Amino acid sequence: MKVLVRDETVPSRRAAPRHVRPQAAAGVALTLPVAVFFVVFWLVPFVAAIYLSFTDYEMAGTPNWIGLANYERMFADPGFLNSAWITVVYTVCTVVPTIVLALLVAVPLAKPGRLNRWLRALVMIPAVMPLAATSMVWVIIYSDRGLANTLLGLAGIEPQAWLTSSDLAIWALVVMVVWKSLGLFVIILTAGLQALPGEVYEAAAIDGSGAVTTFTRITLPLLRRTLLFVLVISVAGSMQAFVPAFLLTGGGPADATQVLPYYIWANAFPYEHMGYAAAMGMVLLAAMVIISALQFAFLKGGDE
Amino acid sequence: MSILRSLWLIVAVGFMLLPVYVMVVVASAPDDTDLSGLVFNGFHLTDNLRVLLGEGNLALYLRNSLILCLGTGLLDVIFSAAAGYAMAQLSFPGRRALFALVVGTLALTPMVLVIPVFLIVKELGWVNTFQGMIVPGMISAFGVFLVRQFALGIPRELLLAARVDGAGEFRIFARIAVPLLKPALITLFLVHFLAQWDNLLWPLIVANDQELWPLPVGLANFQSEVGVTYHLTTTAALVTAVPPFILMVALQRYYVAGLTFGGLKR
Repeated sequence: MKVLVRDETVPSRRAAPRHVRPQAAAGVALTLPVAVFFVVFWLVPFVAAIYLSFTDYEMAGTPNWIGLANYERMFADPGFLNSAWITVVYTVCTVVPTIVLALLVAVPLAKPGRLNRWLRALVMIPAVMPLAATSMVWVIIYSDRGLANTLLGLAGIEPQAWLTSSDLAIWALVVMVVWKSLGLFVIILTAGLQALPGEVYEAAAIDGSGAVTTFTRITLPLLRRTLLFVLVISVAGSMQAFVPAFLLTGGGPADATQVLPYYIWANAFPYEHMGYAAAMGMVLLAAMVIISALQFAFLKGGDE
Repeated sequence: MSILRSLWLIVAVGFMLLPVYVMVVVASAPDDTDLSGLVFNGFHLTDNLRVLLGEGNLALYLRNSLILCLGTGLLDVIFSAAAGYAMAQLSFPGRRALFALVVGTLALTPMVLVIPVFLIVKELGWVNTFQGMIVPGMISAFGVFLVRQFALGIPRELLLAARVDGAGEFRIFARIAVPLLKPALITLFLVHFLAQWDNLLWPLIVANDQELWPLPVGLANFQSEVGVTYHLTTTAALVTAVPPFILMVALQRYYVAGLTFGGLKR
């Protein structure tokens, strides 16, 4: 199956004027449910979230306009500053190793061959594991007598309290998330690599280009689009990751793994500080939009 | 060189599969004595399943997950097929505005929307109901966008010929467009099903009632339910992992197509 991203040009309908009216009626009828849905569950909530972020809304009672107070409060709130910093660390430390490892696996894996065909199928198994199930398995791996400590024991190192030590917990999360995303990114990168034109590689081989030169001079530039896509979805995914912190550590110990999405959720639902949580959501959204735009600006250049 | 490459790939893929293997080993263990998950200690998977289905609420969570995923998945396929086709092939007032609205939502994070969407659902009286869990997630911008891109590839002459033959617009959609869109619709259903199967945040917020919990929420609360028994929790995790695995095996090429198309799911 091929899904091509085409230009947005829909041919002019002027050629067949007598079909225009039934077409317009059918078009409206077919799109009406979707239009209503996106207005009610996306547009209205988005506008409402902007409004709530300027109020002191607490679930009980009515929202009162308090201007920028929520935004000012954020930058004096150690909980928010801690969460923002942890999110930065978590994002950088999950995205970079995942993409590097995924490239190291995908480049040889994309080559033809029976073994590779089998391995490509096997890579899909971790990729489709639900994050909820994955998290429970890693709770076992990080438990007192789990795999992580068993392997340390083989190396003669004493067992660690992976999820309850405030130094280790964030790294335990990072390792799990790198593992979880790796399968997915290997599949996407392999598909991207397999779509590259084979003649370029034949030409490079004839010219006596080495493996490293071929990789840096040919593969990476040709793969830029796919890499940009993987980078954008992995950064966005890490910045809004809620489930790993919720299931593995509950944001703890203390607040060592309290990533920003977790802090927003905790403020909004258990504590019912909805106005404040909405304001933090806006800051997260602004950060995500700016960072995505920067990624496009840096990596899209020279594409034409 | 090629042997080294194969060796590296086997080691790398082996490491990627290790936690899956650990899951199967611990899920089959009779108790919690060996949690390293390296060696099988007998095969007690069916016994563990019996305990979970008997004393635990696993069957309930499984049922709820299926209702949630089949419900939202089918609704998304129906509505996205209609809207995506219309946005690609029909001219009607508001087409551009709708496209901008749908694409615009792709940039938003659920963390911004969950609070107001929860308030809307509360206003509708849908907290702790299936419609409260299903309706806010029943259409994805990813789906509309996917179908639209795919529908742009339907030859215009085909639709024109049908119109000349006097076929109505709805008939053309149902009889000509839908069969041609089938690969995109299967991909959409698969992507949507997998995303909802793993959706923890929204059910956690909207469903306090245990009767409604899907598997991810159930898993999160499992230890309070069957006591702190790691091997039973792992059996439940294995059960959660099986349906996506079966779907992936059955629909592998659609899965890859969905991943490489956008990964823009909500």
